[in-house]
Amino acid sequence: MVELSAMASVFTDPYLIALIFATTILGVIIGVLPGLGATTGAALLLPFTLTMEPVQAIAVLSTIYVSATFAGSITAILINTPGTSASAATTFDGYPLAQKGEAGRALGIAVVSSTIGGVFSIIVLCIAAPLLARVAYEFRPPEYFALTVFGLSMLASISAGGATKNLIGGIFGVWLSTIGAERVTNVERFMFGNYELYEGLSFVPVFIGLFAISELLVQSKTVNQIVETIALKAVKLPTKEDYKKIWKTILRSCGIGTFIGILPAEGATVASMIGYSEARRWSKNKEEFGKGAIEGIAGAEAANNAATGGAMVPTMVLGIPGSGTTAIILVGLMVHGLRPGAYLFTEQVDTVYQIFGSMLLANFMFMAMGLYAAKLFARVSLIPRATLWPIVFALSVIGAYAIQQSTLDIWIALIFGVIGFFARRHGFAVAPIAVGLILGEMVETNLQNSLKMFDGEWWMILTQPLAAFFLILAFLGLCGPYIYSLIIKQKN
Amino acid sequence: MQKKLYITPILLALFSIAIILISLQLDTSPEMIVGDSMQARSFPIFLMVINLILICFLALQFFKNYPKIIELEIFTTWFSMFLFLLFYFLTITTDMFIGIMVCMFLMGYTWGEKRLWVNICNAIITPGSIFVLFDYVLRIRFPRGMLTNIYYG
Repeated sequence: MVELSAMASVFTDPYLIALIFATTILGVIIGVLPGLGATTGAALLLPFTLTMEPVQAIAVLSTIYVSATFAGSITAILINTPGTSASAATTFDGYPLAQKGEAGRALGIAVVSSTIGGVFSIIVLCIAAPLLARVAYEFRPPEYFALTVFGLSMLASISAGGATKNLIGGIFGVWLSTIGAERVTNVERFMFGNYELYEGLSFVPVFIGLFAISELLVQSKTVNQIVETIALKAVKLPTKEDYKKIWKTILRSCGIGTFIGILPAEGATVASMIGYSEARRWSKNKEEFGKGAIEGIAGAEAANNAATGGAMVPTMVLGIPGSGTTAIILVGLMVHGLRPGAYLFTEQVDTVYQIFGSMLLANFMFMAMGLYAAKLFARVSLIPRATLWPIVFALSVIGAYAIQQSTLDIWIALIFGVIGFFARRHGFAVAPIAVGLILGEMVETNLQNSLKMFDGEWWMILTQPLAAFFLILAFLGLCGPYIYSLIIKQKN
Repeated sequence: MQKKLYITPILLALFSIAIILISLQLDTSPEMIVGDSMQARSFPIFLMVINLILICFLALQFFKNYPKIIELEIFTTWFSMFLFLLFYFLTITTDMFIGIMVCMFLMGYTWGEKRLWVNICNAIITPGSIFVLFDYVLRIRFPRGMLTNIYYG
């Protein structure tokens, strides 16, 4: 009951409603601008939430997350350019359908599927998160250590980059977390005499650098790109015939997206790709796929928005981010004094359910905006890059400075921007670095505590059933695909 | 395979080795503080050893699958990176906001916006409004410089 009333309070708080409304508009704008995805948007907006109440701040970040994830589909359908990587699968059928003169129908299906996916995942979040929190109460350092290792192993299957490259990125991120004074012995590591680094690298400037500034440098290569847009008259809600065709696909993708979102370090991009391929696999009209199949749009869109709620489960219950954007939301929770983990669900139940409520509200708001203002938002994508990205530069450097009011953080953001750019140019994704940075401290601290528990006998971690279970999962996550491909090769 | 593509694993391996060497120079703590746990150097060394193993896998993959040829960055990319340096120089010598304005103007111009008034407006209005928002709403004080000294007094 407390939970329900906390959720309902969001719908009766005019300030929060106005804030979520404004943020949804901003989120949709961020989503339709190619290059500026949910992760970059959340990284840029985090400094602006500093003076807000925790619920308002996290509501802003999570609203950006859900609305930008949906909005990527607008440009995916109208200009064949996914606003976010999570909408890449939407281009496969969304753009061909738009080329046939049915852009409004394609957008209508995307809006409805996204909303159902988002709402479904929030219901799952409300049910699964407290249950998982109850299990997580029993976790001790060995279990947490094994869980973070599992989280890191899941980086191997993030869509961008390859498995090996993602793991190297993750390890680099974990190493970054060792910069500063070591917590037990106070030994200074990799500070090179700079005492501003004593507490370690601040997450926010690193994230702004990795996501926003590196994207700026990536975008600088596409300044001369000409965008062709398809005219949109009005967004059309799906007809009864359409619903008959897509309802099973939507339900399937809701399940797939939520499950993939819950897996640590997986995100909406993976979910939409699997949602799309499963929609194709189960469809009776496979030949239509790639030529404007509405099931393709529904499958991808329901899955990517379902992943948003799912990704919040490990983030809030275990402190393990479910995606790049939830890594930033996790930092937002920490910045505002909320300790992610099982205790959040007993100590701050109201706050948790208000956050869930605001995500639910954001889903309804982006649905309304998608239906009635998609035409307007599509025009935003035509803002010249030469005007937009200098603004991103200004927001990045000031945002990096604002968190700790330290100029060192600006240089850190710029340095990580360049590092992120070169990493991406060489096929490394930047999200694993961010996730590694967040999990790094958890891995080291829990390993140290586990060693203390077992008198320095590290192998004793394997004798703990849950820890062993997570480590086996991590092993399977890392080696499973190789073993599977070897078996397939043998069979062939 | 082009020779330059080897650079990625080689650079990564050199980086890992450098970190291991630096880690070995870190102070060791007395046994009574560390107890059954590990020395501060152990964890980074452990990480870099794993990294070196992964880099070997990466190099093997490079032999098997020819990676995409890495194109050279075009002028705007290099110039944008140069602007970061210029921003650093202007921030420490004049003012952070002068640095932002100059860099925004030059970035807009080199990225293809040739209308000077658009670039000038963008370079003045954006940092100006962000400054107002951060100063009045978020109560954040910016580092002192030529412009901020006038404002802060």
